[in-house]
Amino acid sequence: MRRNLLGWADLIALLVLAAGFFVPMLTHSVLVYSILNQVFTGVIAAESVWIMLRMNLLSFATPTFMAIGGYTVAIAGEYNVTDAFLMTAASFILPALVAIPLGALVLRLRGTYFVLVTFVLSQIMQLVLFETPSLTGGSNGIAGVPPVTLFGTEMGTNRQVLEFACGLAMLATLITGLLTRWFRQHFAAIEENEILAESLGLVVWRYKAMGFVVAAGISGLAGYSLVNMLLTAHPSSFDSGTAVDFIAYTIIGGRVSILGPVLGTGALVYATNLFGTHGQYAQGLYGVLILVVVLVARGGIVGTVAALWRRRTS
Amino acid sequence: MAEFSQAAIIGVSLGAQYALLALGFTLIFGILGVVNFAHGGFYMLGGYVAYSCVAYAGLPYPLAVLVAVIATGALGWIFELYLLERMVDDHLATLMLTLGLYLVMSTGLLTIFGPLSMEFAFPVKGAMHLGPIYVPRENLIVLAICLTTIAALWLVLYRTDLGRGLRALADDRAIAMAQGLRPKLLFPLAFAIATALAGLTGALVTPILSLSPGVGDPVLATSFLTVILGGLGSLEGAALAAFVVGVVEAFSSVYFGGSIGALVLFVLVLLLLVFRPTGLLGRTVRGA
Repeated sequence: MRRNLLGWADLIALLVLAAGFFVPMLTHSVLVYSILNQVFTGVIAAESVWIMLRMNLLSFATPTFMAIGGYTVAIAGEYNVTDAFLMTAASFILPALVAIPLGALVLRLRGTYFVLVTFVLSQIMQLVLFETPSLTGGSNGIAGVPPVTLFGTEMGTNRQVLEFACGLAMLATLITGLLTRWFRQHFAAIEENEILAESLGLVVWRYKAMGFVVAAGISGLAGYSLVNMLLTAHPSSFDSGTAVDFIAYTIIGGRVSILGPVLGTGALVYATNLFGTHGQYAQGLYGVLILVVVLVARGGIVGTVAALWRRRTS
Repeated sequence: MAEFSQAAIIGVSLGAQYALLALGFTLIFGILGVVNFAHGGFYMLGGYVAYSCVAYAGLPYPLAVLVAVIATGALGWIFELYLLERMVDDHLATLMLTLGLYLVMSTGLLTIFGPLSMEFAFPVKGAMHLGPIYVPRENLIVLAICLTTIAALWLVLYRTDLGRGLRALADDRAIAMAQGLRPKLLFPLAFAIATALAGLTGALVTPILSLSPGVGDPVLATSFLTVILGGLGSLEGAALAAFVVGVVEAFSSVYFGGSIGALVLFVLVLLLLVFRPTGLLGRTVRGA
């Protein structure tokens, strides 16, 4: 059976993100750059949530692995290691390595226990960050992280930071697309009925572990993108509450396709910025939208648009 | 020795508060199969309702606590009946609904009361001196109310037809329904009892600790920790684990300081899951 490496949705998601490279040709607005940086970081984090949701597992562990990726880059920066390729690899691989033993622990659990334990993991990470000041700077974090360098050139301007975040988001989308496309049927079987899938011979733990490890690596990339944007690694950036935002992006965008986390993040980050300096009230908007999506529009933005399109064309 | 005894009393007092929260949380999961992410929100709401009754309506504190219990119970009842009930068998959907409710509640309270902590003081002050041991009166009162409530809940669940009905639904919903039990009546009631317990805890504890829109988050984390340790769906396990968590937290803060104790506790809970995924007294429950 011939298997496409990427689907239409993956390609559209990549094209949408690639548009970020052309934004500097249209505007030099700092606000636009800031919003887009937030969108790119959010998309990467939301994609890690989406990978686990493809197996019907809701993970709150995204900030945990983001912190590992982000602090890896910040600590390396203290030793003037800033090479983009090296740091991209490190921010992906380190969280993925940490996820292997953690996965062995948490992937024994299903459904509710998995949700609770990933939430606990994010709490543990916060405490670890505060209790290891010699390594992570404790409650002060690590400030003054040097900008990334690409082929020896420092990527320190607003435009370069934006382009780098865009590149990371595209890389994360490519990895997510390849993984979920390649194991589409396996993930779908686990999502539909894990016990039945196992009884039919599917080695469920193998696919769940693979998904968990790759999702951790993707989260690490989100941490890298965030630290590179802020030039600071601080515990509050990886608070367990941020996991709720990434889950909201994914659920409201729609879990049926990779376009869900991409469009959901874009829409919600934009909406959050409309609140201006009162961004904390955006959580209420997320809450209302989550209730609406769960009660009346299960497919989220993408699912609803697709359903309307099908109705119109049939 | 006095330090040790004082830590033990604080630990038991904390444990009783955590038990009230965890019992409600695990009651909802055991009976409805729902992970209530809004549990910290109901705690917070209980605190704000009690505060509003005292500060704006001039009600005496005990009456304010009663109003908080009724308000949080009523909101829980309505939420279960009109929203959760529609998809009660879908774990992910119910989890998301409670998460959505929590975000709406916390933002609503933030909008109404602002981000700063309220000046909400417990009406009884002073301390009792038992030899060299110093115990704040407010902690003793809260401990007494918590223990009385836990005993009352135990009586309702294990000595009344209502409790037998709720436990039957938790054990096997299909058989319980075949025996004539009505989930449409009992599910909202179970949810209301649980949210009222969270509201009661909030009304009792926030005057001692603090009352601000962020206080629900640590409460949720503690509830999670406690029910994982005790075994999701197990009432006895939740009560036992709550006291373990309270005592460990009190001793670690007295002897180690900082958040080392909390970190050790979280890691111990994770390790426990390796050897006993169902917790101390838990059993395999649906969806878990």
